[in-house]
Amino acid sequence: MNKKRWISVVVAAALCAGSFPTAVMAAEDPYKIVVMPKLTSIPYFQQTGEGAEEAGKDLGVEVIYNGPTTADAAQQVTMIEDYISQGVDAICVAPNDPAAMQSVLQRARDAGIVVLDWDTQADPSLVDASIHNIDDKTFGEHMMQLLVECMGTEEAEYAIVTGGLSAENLNTWIEYATAYAEENYPDLTLVADPYPTDEKQDVAYSTTQDLLRAYPDVKGILGFSTPTGPGCGLAIRDLGLQDEVSLVANAVEDDVQDVLSDGALDVGCLWSCHDLGYLTVCVAKSLLDGNTLEDGMEVEGWGEIEVQDEKAVILGPPEDYISPESGVESDVAAEETEDTDAAASEEAAEAETADDTAEAEDAEAADTAEEATDAEEAEETAE
Amino acid sequence: MKILKDIRSKYPNEFVLFGIFVFLFVVMSILSPDKFLSITNLQTMLFQMPEFGLMALAMMIAVLTGGMNLSIITGSTLATIIAGFFMRTEFVQNNPALGTLLAVLMTIFIACMTGVLNGAIVAYIGVAPMLVTLGTKTLFEGLGLQFTKGSSVSGFPELFNKIGSGTLFGIPYTLIILIIFTVLSYFLFERSKWGMEVYMIGCNETATRFSGVNTKATLLKVYIYSGLMYGIAGILIASRYCSAKTDYGSSYLMQALTAVVLGGTSIAGGSGTVAGTILAVMIIQTVSTGFNIYGINRNIVNIITGVILIVVLAIRYLTQVVIDRKKIRERVSQSRKTA
Amino acid sequence: MQKIIEKITKKKELGVFLMIIILSALITMVNSSFLTLDNIFDFLRSNATIGIMAFGMLPVLISGGIDLSCSSVISLCAVVAGYMMAGNSGMNPVLVVCLIMLLGGFMGLINGVIITKLKIPPIVTTLGTQTIILAGVLLYTNGMWISGLPQWFIDFGKFQLGSIESAGKLTGLSTQAILMFAAAFVTWLMLKYTLVGRGIYAIGGNRRSAMRIGYNVDRIEIFIYVYAGLMTGLAAIANISIVGQVDPNTYLNYEMDVISVVVLGGASVMGGVGNVFGTVLGVILMAVIKNGLVLARVPTYWQKVVMGLIILITISADVINRKREQAKLVRVDVEE
Repeated sequence: MNKKRWISVVVAAALCAGSFPTAVMAAEDPYKIVVMPKLTSIPYFQQTGEGAEEAGKDLGVEVIYNGPTTADAAQQVTMIEDYISQGVDAICVAPNDPAAMQSVLQRARDAGIVVLDWDTQADPSLVDASIHNIDDKTFGEHMMQLLVECMGTEEAEYAIVTGGLSAENLNTWIEYATAYAEENYPDLTLVADPYPTDEKQDVAYSTTQDLLRAYPDVKGILGFSTPTGPGCGLAIRDLGLQDEVSLVANAVEDDVQDVLSDGALDVGCLWSCHDLGYLTVCVAKSLLDGNTLEDGMEVEGWGEIEVQDEKAVILGPPEDYISPESGVESDVAAEETEDTDAAASEEAAEAETADDTAEAEDAEAADTAEEATDAEEAEETAE
Repeated sequence: MKILKDIRSKYPNEFVLFGIFVFLFVVMSILSPDKFLSITNLQTMLFQMPEFGLMALAMMIAVLTGGMNLSIITGSTLATIIAGFFMRTEFVQNNPALGTLLAVLMTIFIACMTGVLNGAIVAYIGVAPMLVTLGTKTLFEGLGLQFTKGSSVSGFPELFNKIGSGTLFGIPYTLIILIIFTVLSYFLFERSKWGMEVYMIGCNETATRFSGVNTKATLLKVYIYSGLMYGIAGILIASRYCSAKTDYGSSYLMQALTAVVLGGTSIAGGSGTVAGTILAVMIIQTVSTGFNIYGINRNIVNIITGVILIVVLAIRYLTQVVIDRKKIRERVSQSRKTA
Repeated sequence: MQKIIEKITKKKELGVFLMIIILSALITMVNSSFLTLDNIFDFLRSNATIGIMAFGMLPVLISGGIDLSCSSVISLCAVVAGYMMAGNSGMNPVLVVCLIMLLGGFMGLINGVIITKLKIPPIVTTLGTQTIILAGVLLYTNGMWISGLPQWFIDFGKFQLGSIESAGKLTGLSTQAILMFAAAFVTWLMLKYTLVGRGIYAIGGNRRSAMRIGYNVDRIEIFIYVYAGLMTGLAAIANISIVGQVDPNTYLNYEMDVISVVVLGGASVMGGVGNVFGTVLGVILMAVIKNGLVLARVPTYWQKVVMGLIILITISADVINRKREQAKLVRVDVEE
């Protein structure tokens, strides 16, 4: 008997250690909104999580930001099922795989839960709203355009490096990007199928080195998924090809300052992760309040939103982090971004980019008046 | 009370595991009676457990022989991907009933064939199972990727999707399937000649061979049976998610191994019970669901699972030490008396 | 020359050796830049992490154990190293390396103690610690990257020994490759010339006999896991010095890569067999496969299939070869 008691004590201790913090937050009143990323514990979804939790605080709703530890659709579905039985008010999910989500999202709706998707699109008929960074087509094409601009030629070989071959949203972007290239730049050749990197920076590094050896004539690389930015960038730098090979890749801004500095990474391309999480929670709350989505409507905590096709809420154009060495002239997209809720740190960081851009443009003496004022304003903010 | 004691002395390990399960279940229920104990939650757990349980059984049979099967996940997804392509053909769309049946058989067949490949290399060439399955894991994943180009296969007939979501008198079909195969596994492992041979191989393969057992054929069957189990798990997964993809269920691999070991199967082979494995699956499921309901970070859940694994095994060893000492003391005093 | 060839063909690493030669020849036919010094130095550099860990794993496998926790330990070491160095450029470099190796060694100590004192099988123990350590690291860091490592460290990672001109570039042996060879050398010395090393083989061959001969089996086993931890710490340093940033998630599934490398090199997961030379070949074979598949322009979607097949063929050939030799020995016994 003694031994068993001992087991109980150990297990109980383990349980208490884990469950204590939640026992405190038992207040029932505010909306419970689950925001589920594809996986926790990577910088991208960490920042979206910060945004979501901040929105929760600002709006007075309870935000549960939790997801699987690996990008496994099975584990994600399991977790959503658990939340359905817990009885939450809204579930916002970034599906690892839209197809796998179908039945579980249907069940969530049957249980009267408001369902949103964000980051990656789920089956549109199953969600009440869908938060898009920007639509996938525009984003894929945008990256392709940037690459061509960086390469400075429409007649070259290029390669694609991706996070994983089975990542749905990355595959969608790649599809649109390549389709766009085939149509508009017939002289561009994609040398091989996308190279996977297991979402790992060092794999991106060695793969890029290998592929540049396999195809020495490659002039441009498109990197999808955030570890590719610094990973491919470093590989290009270590081969000393900053000037020969252009790289346009997704990147979390803080992590690529170094590779941007010498043009190893020409343009880093992403939206504000923080805002994506923030907007998701704002829209969820608005829907829970009984509002219906309309283009141009005011959403509490965010402001005016852009709605397409009744359900798709558009965050805004992506942010481009441009290297001073890239030769890309203007940063139209970043300037259009409406950062109503952007944190001060982000503005400062943006100012840096703008600053850099301005310097580069000074050197080329090609700046328009508007951009100069913008840069000045940004400089002031930074100081 | 006497029955309880009997069970305890006969199956001490299962008894402890059951105790832990009941304890965890009660703690979870007390902490949130309205959520954890709700019908929907219990039903959800019953929906989730079967695929995990079958994966654990697939792992267990290999571990019993002193081997391991790392290809359970990619083997099952490869099978469901191929069956998934078949289910999208016009033939199946026009004859959903026949098509679903054929697709199920096809999944099982392909999964068993992956088992044949594993088993043949393990048994007839004699390569260590862990390495074989490490290689085939990569191979099956590669084939799956090649067929799907990384996207998922969906658009299965409604009937097929019913397998994973339908219920019979409130009991999910999936659970019924798990129960059937648990019972089948019990009789095959613990009550049949083949099962006996499997345990013998786990204890000492050479001795088993010299005692007249065709160990190669037995081993081959082990991996085929493992294939059957993960094939069926694959069907459940594909039908629950209405699609098939190379990385579905990838988190089950280490979980399955954890469940098998937690359930008392010796990693060196030769001992372990089906009941223990299923109890361990229930424990892990309870921990996982219970903590999810609180919205606790998955990493903490992982830590707790790891701690439970090590603590339970440590306790198992320490109790063994205590029991052994007691026995020695008894024997010594007995022999003194007789002397 | 003939003697050397004879020596090599008699060794059981022959299969791996032939595989490397065949693959290299095939790849070079498709892409001549494969066999340039520049490329060879580069793939040594990018595979150094796995290599260093492999030399830590080798003694573990020889003793009949296994260490699944190395992927989590390297993540922990890399993160701690990152926090120690980021924004603190005054740290003594040698001190950093030593502390990180000690941290790895300490994790190994925990593994070793659980394995020997609580008698939990190595695979189970390290499966448990793997889960716990990684979850702990991710919980603490939230998976955020650590950047801003000091310049001396970046320079340390970029250092090249010697400068040979190859493919129009100056190239030399990188820090990481040097560290890998150092690890190989130390492991070789340890296994071949120390009492502990002989003890490791003895334990792997037959535990009980080893105990009877008078080896302190528990202490040797603890040492093995500590050694694996030390190597993992060193690997962490090598790895972050390549990319200059720490990403706690990078090391997921590294343990399987490490184990396959060691096993391709002829070590047996059953224990008792394995040597440093074989492991070096294993590292090279894996590097050739990874690097070569891209250089040989194998279509991406086929790469995993090819990789799986190569692994299966190599280990099967190895086992068949060994069996044939054993059969020959038996025949000799009978005939004599």
